[in-house]
Amino acid sequence: MATVANTDKMICPSCRVEMNHHCDKLIYTTDTQDAGPTDTNLGGIIEEFHTCPKCGGGASRHA
Amino acid sequence: MESNRPLFIPVILGTARMGRMSLHAARLVTGELGKCAGVETDLIDIARLPLPTNDAGEAIKQADFSAKMDKADALVIVSPEYNHGYSGLLKHVLDSCLKEYIHKAVGIVGVSAGPFGGTRVIQNLLPVMREIGLVTIFWDVNFSSVQKVFAEDGRLLDESYIRRIDKFLKELIWMAKTLRQGREQISLD
Repeated sequence: MATVANTDKMICPSCRVEMNHHCDKLIYTTDTQDAGPTDTNLGGIIEEFHTCPKCGGGASRHA
Repeated sequence: MESNRPLFIPVILGTARMGRMSLHAARLVTGELGKCAGVETDLIDIARLPLPTNDAGEAIKQADFSAKMDKADALVIVSPEYNHGYSGLLKHVLDSCLKEYIHKAVGIVGVSAGPFGGTRVIQNLLPVMREIGLVTIFWDVNFSSVQKVFAEDGRLLDESYIRRIDKFLKELIWMAKTLRQGREQISLD
């Protein structure tokens, strides 16, 4: 099952501003807890990485 | 628009061995970084990180190290060369984070007792850096015959290293600024 991109902006927990989505990374895992969002076309989980333009803090989530 | 926040560029000392000469190299680089305008730094000694060895990866993430990696705009890794490779403990420490490293610059300082200045350990670290999302610069610092570069008390005996470190840090700082701009302002979408 291919995943659908999450288009909601992440919000910085410190500054309450929208974070910038600047990276996707394909992650392979044997963790069955993470089996749900696996993108079968790519063979792993797409993890999104976001950075706050105000404080520079980073965050990530499954795509 | 360029951020007014100072860059944070910690130095990771990648060995816990007794008698490690890399400590002198790490202190020297940290001192030179501290002289750079708009840069804050910190020396992180992996021998002092309380990471367990009965698990690995992000399962053993240590809060203080994670916070420093998250705050960092770039890293310097000072690594001795042991049998052509890096220390297992350095890999153990690096593997405890991931999101903290993404799209941040890294420069590597190689240290060896022999004539090649850690060139092989640097080459071996490059694919690891790439996989964890760090962006390598093309300047390295190579401490060859390190026992002749520093006195036993850590005093630098060969001043020519200062110029090489300066070139290395200028490239690292440029990359740190550029990647910060990218992380904070340039969207993937």
